[in-house]
Amino acid sequence: MWKTVVRRFLIMIPQLFVLSLLIFIMAKNMPGDPFTGKITPETDPARIEELRELNGLNDPWYEQYARWVGNAFQGEFGNSYTYKVKVSTLIGERAMNTFWLSLLTAVMLYAIAVPLGVLAGRFHNSWFDRGVVLYSFISYAIPTFVLALILLYFFGYKLQWFPTTGSVDVREVPGSAGYYISKIYHMILPAFTSAVLGTVAIIQYLRTEVVDAKSMDYVRTARAKGVPANKVYSKHIFRNSLLPVAAFIGFTITGLLGGSIFIETIFAYPGMGQLFISSIASRDYSVITALVMLYGFLALLGSLLSDIIMSIVDPRIRIE
Amino acid sequence: MKKQRWALLTMLLALMFVLAACGGDKKEGTDKNTDTGKTDGGTTTGEEAKEEQGDSFSLSVENEGTAIEGGTLMVALQKSEPFQGIFSWVLYEDAYDGELMSFTTNSIFKTDGDFLITDEGIASMDVKQAEAEGEPNIVTIKIREGVKWSDGEPLKIEDIMLPYEIIAHKDYTGVRYDEELRNIIGVEEYHNGTADTISGLKKIDETTLEIHLKKVSPALASGGDGLWTYAEPSHVIGDIPVAELVESDAVRKNPVTLGAFKIDRIVPGESVQYTANEHYWKGKPKLDGVIVKVVPPASIAKALEAGEYDLALSFGSAQYPEIEALTNIDVLARPELYYSYLGFKLGKWDSEKKEVATDLENSKMGDVSLRQAMGYALNVEEVTEVFYDGLRERANAILPPVFTSFHDASLEGYTYDPEKAKQLLEDAGFKDVDGDGIREDKEGKPLEIKLATMAGDDVAEQIAAFWLQNWKEVGLNVVFTDGRTIEFNSFYDKVQADDPNIDVFMGAWGVGSNPSPSGVYAHNAQYNFSRYTSDSLKQTLSNIDSKEAFDATYRAEQFAAFEKEIHDVAPIIPMMYRLELSPVNKRVKNYSIDYANPTELQDIELTADAPIK
Repeated sequence: MWKTVVRRFLIMIPQLFVLSLLIFIMAKNMPGDPFTGKITPETDPARIEELRELNGLNDPWYEQYARWVGNAFQGEFGNSYTYKVKVSTLIGERAMNTFWLSLLTAVMLYAIAVPLGVLAGRFHNSWFDRGVVLYSFISYAIPTFVLALILLYFFGYKLQWFPTTGSVDVREVPGSAGYYISKIYHMILPAFTSAVLGTVAIIQYLRTEVVDAKSMDYVRTARAKGVPANKVYSKHIFRNSLLPVAAFIGFTITGLLGGSIFIETIFAYPGMGQLFISSIASRDYSVITALVMLYGFLALLGSLLSDIIMSIVDPRIRIE
Repeated sequence: MKKQRWALLTMLLALMFVLAACGGDKKEGTDKNTDTGKTDGGTTTGEEAKEEQGDSFSLSVENEGTAIEGGTLMVALQKSEPFQGIFSWVLYEDAYDGELMSFTTNSIFKTDGDFLITDEGIASMDVKQAEAEGEPNIVTIKIREGVKWSDGEPLKIEDIMLPYEIIAHKDYTGVRYDEELRNIIGVEEYHNGTADTISGLKKIDETTLEIHLKKVSPALASGGDGLWTYAEPSHVIGDIPVAELVESDAVRKNPVTLGAFKIDRIVPGESVQYTANEHYWKGKPKLDGVIVKVVPPASIAKALEAGEYDLALSFGSAQYPEIEALTNIDVLARPELYYSYLGFKLGKWDSEKKEVATDLENSKMGDVSLRQAMGYALNVEEVTEVFYDGLRERANAILPPVFTSFHDASLEGYTYDPEKAKQLLEDAGFKDVDGDGIREDKEGKPLEIKLATMAGDDVAEQIAAFWLQNWKEVGLNVVFTDGRTIEFNSFYDKVQADDPNIDVFMGAWGVGSNPSPSGVYAHNAQYNFSRYTSDSLKQTLSNIDSKEAFDATYRAEQFAAFEKEIHDVAPIIPMMYRLELSPVNKRVKNYSIDYANPTELQDIELTADAPIK
C-alpha cells in the first residue's frame, strides 16, 4: 500500500503543475490588477505605474509565471499585495483558525449524523425516523446564510449565550487558559451551523444502509444464533453501514479546510474562505495562486485519504 | 400517499424559515421596485420619506446621566472581511486601518472645519514664500515641548523628519512617493541614492524644522504640497530597514503612538483593544480603554439593538432603516467627502504628451445640449429619497457641502426637468425622425448612447435601470456598455483606457481634505476621465493653486469660476452627495462628529457600565 501512496503523491506533481499554469493564466486575464483599486484623486498615477513596473506586472505572463515557479520551488510564494505580508504568514494565520473550526465542525457533524442515521435506520418508519427525514430535508434545503443568521440572532443576540463575532475575545491574554476557552466558545456557533448543514448526506447513506442490512442473510444468521439485537446493530450492521460514509470522509475533512465564505462572513471569523474571495476581488495574485494550489492539493489529498480509509474499513478493498 | 404529504409539509416548513429570515428586507425591495416603474407612486413615497426625516439628523448628541469613572467604549467597525492591520500612517492603504488608527493617531496638526491647519495641535506651521526666482519657499514647523510618545519617550524633531525619509526611501513600496512629495527640495536625489539625506529638511533646533519647497500653493494649508502631517517614532522604527518595516512588530503588533489611546492587544483581522495613554499631551483620557471589533453588515443592526456597542464606524447607509426606530441609539450624520457624477467621454488620453486630447467634434457626446439634456433628464431627487432614504442628496456642484467656505449652496445644478431636456434636444436637432419615440442624431441616423456603470448590490442594479428609463422618457436610447453593469476593476480598466464602447459613465470620487480639483480635472491628470480641458479651465485650475489664492476670497472666486465652466460645458455632471452616519448608544454622554468641533477622544464619558439595550 505504501508504494501506492508514494506513487499517488508523485502523480500529484504534474497535476498541480497543470493547475498552477491554468490558474496563473486565468488570474492574469482578469480585468484590473492589485493596483486598480488604489486610484483616488490623491494618488499619483505615475507612482502606480511605477509600482506595477516594480512588481513585474508589466512583463509578459510567461516571464511572471517562470519567476513564480522558480520561487515556489523554494517555498516562496511572494507577498500579498493587499496585506503586505508573506503569503505563507497570511495563509498560516487564517489556516489555523479554519483548521480548528473544521475540526470542531467535523466532530459535531459525525456526532449528530451517525447516531441519527443509525437510529433512523433501525427504527425504520417510526415517528423518530420521520422526524430525522424531515430534519435532513430542512437542513439540506435551507441556505447556509439563512441558518447562520437565524442561529446568530437567536443564540447570539436574543439569548446571548454565545459571542457573535470573531474567533477570540481580545481581552483574554494569549496563552492563558481563558484564551483557549474563549477560542472554543467562539467556535461553537459557527461550527454547529456548518455541522448541521453537512449532515444530510451522512444521515441518508447510513439510514439506507442500515435498512438494507437488516434484511441481509448475515444479520438473520446472527439473530438466529441468539445474538442480542443491540449487539447485532453495534457490531455487525454498524460497521458495514459505515462503508459509504467512510468513502467520502477524506473529502469532507479537506472540504471543511477550504473554509466557508458565508459562515466566516456572518460570524466575522477570519478564515480561508473569506481570504480567497477577497483576494479575488482585490486581484491579490500571489494569494489567489497560492490558495488555489493549496485547494488543489487538499482535493487530491482528500481522495487519497478516502481510499486509504476505505481500505482500512473494508478489508476486501486493496489499493493497488 | 403518506410520502407525498411529508414532502409537501417539509417544503412548506423550509419555505417558512426562509421567509421569516429575510421577509423584512424583501418586502422593502419589492416596494421600491414598483415605485421606480410608476413615477407617480414613487413621488408620493418620496414625499412621505421627506416628511418623516426632514433634516432631523444632527451632528452631536448629549445624553443625561452622571458619568461613571473610567469604563470601556465598545466600538463596532462595520466591515464584511477582516481588517488588514497595517498600523502606520506611511504604509497603510486601507481606509479601515485608518479608522483603527484614529484612536491612537500620530497626527501632529489640528485642523478646522475647512480642514485647514491651525496652531492648536502638537505642531504649528509658518510659511515664508520665496521672494525671488530660484529661492526656496520655507515652511517652518515648530513642535510643542513636553509631548511624549505612548512609551514615555519625548517627541523629537527627528520624529517629524523620519516619515519623509521612509516614504522617499528607494525600498519604500507604498503609493505615497509621488509628484507632490518631490516638491520638497532634495527628495528625488535621496530617492535615487545620490544623496544620503533630504537636503530640503533642515533641523534648526530640538523643536524646529525647516522644510524647503520648490513651490507653494494654498494646498499647503490643508497638508498638501508635499507636507506630511504625521510623526513616526524614530527611537522605535528608526533602525528598522524600510523594506522590513511593513512586516515588523512595531507596525503590526505594538505600534508606539501619540494619540489619546494606545494599542494594547490585537487579534489579527478581527479586534483591537486600546488602553488610555497616560502620556497623552492633553492629559489622560477619562475612559479606561476602547475595544473595536469588526462586525459584518448582516448583523450590525441587531448588534446595536442588543446593546453590544456604543459606536459604529463605517456604518453603511443601507442598514439605516433597520436601526432608525431603535430607542437605545441616536443616529448622527455629517456630509461625506464624496460626490458621484455622470461623465461624458470627450476625447482621449495622449500617452505620449501625457495630457488629455479633447476632441469635441468627433465625440458622440460632443454636443453640449445633448450632455445638458442628459443631466436634466435624470430624476436624481427621487432616487435619493426612494432608494437611499434621504441619506444622499442631489449634488449641485463638484465641491461637497462639507467645504463650508467653498461650497456654494445657491448653485442650481442639474435639477430634474424632463421638459427642459426635451427642449434642449429639440433645439439642438436631435429629433425623432421615424416616430418610434426615440430620437435620432442631427443627421437623422440612429443614436445609441453606451453607458458604463459599476455593478453593485440589488439597489445599484435597480437604480441603473431607473436611469435608463429616465433617458428613455426624453427620447434618448441609452444602453449598457457590454449589455450589463460592470464589475469595479473592469469598470476602471475600461474607463481609463478610453474604451470606444463607453460614451457616458457613472463614477464617484472621494475628495481629499484639499479641495483643489486639479487631480481630476487638469489637462495633465490621468484621472481626468472625461478627457475634457480648455484654455480657460487650465487657467482657472492654475489660479486655484496659485500663490494669489492664499487669499481665501480670491480662491473662492476661482472655485466659482471652475464650477461655472463645468456646469456650462458639462463634461461631467455632479449627481449625488452622501451622508456619513454614526450611530451612538445612549450610554455615551457626549459625542460630536462635526468636523469643525468634534468630540476629542479624551473627553468621551459613559453613563453606565454597559451599553444600553
